[in-house]
Amino acid sequence: MSTYIYAITSAEHPQNLQGLSGVGEPAGTLRTVGTKSLSAVVSDAPEDLRAKRRDLAAHQAVLEQLMADGATLPMRFGLVGPDDGSVESVLEENKDAYAERLAELNGCVEYNLKAAREEDDLLREIVAGSAEIQRLREVSREHPEAQEEKVRLGELVSNEVQARHEAEARDLVERLSGGAQRHSVAEPTQSHFLNVSFLVRREDSAAFAQSVHEEAERRGDVYSLNLHGPLPPYSFV
Amino acid sequence: MTVVPQTNSQQSTGAGGGNLYDILELILDRGLVIDAFVRVSLVGIEILKIDVRVVVASVDTYLRFAEACNRLDLEAGRKAPSQLTDIVGDATESGAKGKSKGALTGAVEAFSESFQRGRDGEEQEQEREREPRKAASSSSSGARRTTRRKED
Repeated sequence: MSTYIYAITSAEHPQNLQGLSGVGEPAGTLRTVGTKSLSAVVSDAPEDLRAKRRDLAAHQAVLEQLMADGATLPMRFGLVGPDDGSVESVLEENKDAYAERLAELNGCVEYNLKAAREEDDLLREIVAGSAEIQRLREVSREHPEAQEEKVRLGELVSNEVQARHEAEARDLVERLSGGAQRHSVAEPTQSHFLNVSFLVRREDSAAFAQSVHEEAERRGDVYSLNLHGPLPPYSFV
Repeated sequence: MTVVPQTNSQQSTGAGGGNLYDILELILDRGLVIDAFVRVSLVGIEILKIDVRVVVASVDTYLRFAEACNRLDLEAGRKAPSQLTDIVGDATESGAKGKSKGALTGAVEAFSESFQRGRDGEEQEQEREREPRKAASSSSSGARRTTRRKED
């Protein structure tokens, strides 16, 4: 039976798994596999595991519980080794690197922030800021058949959108990163100009969330800031 | 616009992974890997990762922006703003004023809800708040997603 691995902690971590269950249907029973210094939470890997909702939720729930009790290295969803022995071997082989990482993350949690701005608001700003864009806009409004002007207009606007999104993302990260230990910027999605995770000391969490809230207030209503956390430090392992 | 006030009566640091949809990419694409181990197939997971970055430099994108600009009412911008902030995880109640503007599709909402259900039966159940149902919601409705943790 192959082994599904959820997380790695130090051997001293209490690993209170009461009330939790693993991935799979029926849900796998959680257990621990350990070496002298490290411990992993695992379960039997279901034969046909896929990323179903309840599996993702089970994975996340285990990590949240572990994270609440001490430093935890969250595994990516869906990681399966041949057996418990192979998990032990990996813990032993990489014990220094894992221990170091656990020490770094001790007392820290992840907050993920996604930021968006209403498109029309941004477009108004862009149109207002460029005489050439205004001219092309007039032309293509009056002459819907003027394809060349339309494409040119779209290209100019598109470049501006991208540049402004990047600048705003940089600015926002700069304003917030002071409250965090580290940050990790990920590829933004279509609906957001920024997708960033912050590693925050647990005792700084409330202040950090407050700073995001203040930033949202300051930016006003055309911006939407979505903060999620505290989370296991997925982005910092 | 639907607003679900944050009613986290518990702790100071608020939210965990209550709405897993929003942190899906973290669970699926981040986290530690072990090189020698395999990963389960994520076939079918594409449907979950709805937001893919658009290709910015394409004629299609240009035309979309041109159309959007031409439709734009330049005078409409200074309207009385509506609050769009969606803060989760701030249990100081200062986040409670926030609202989210919903870009969520029905499918995504259903997905979030199922996630919530998926966590039922766990010990945190009583701490969880239902994702609000927004039957026939318009594209401008949304909900603050409020979750809580048992820790701290």
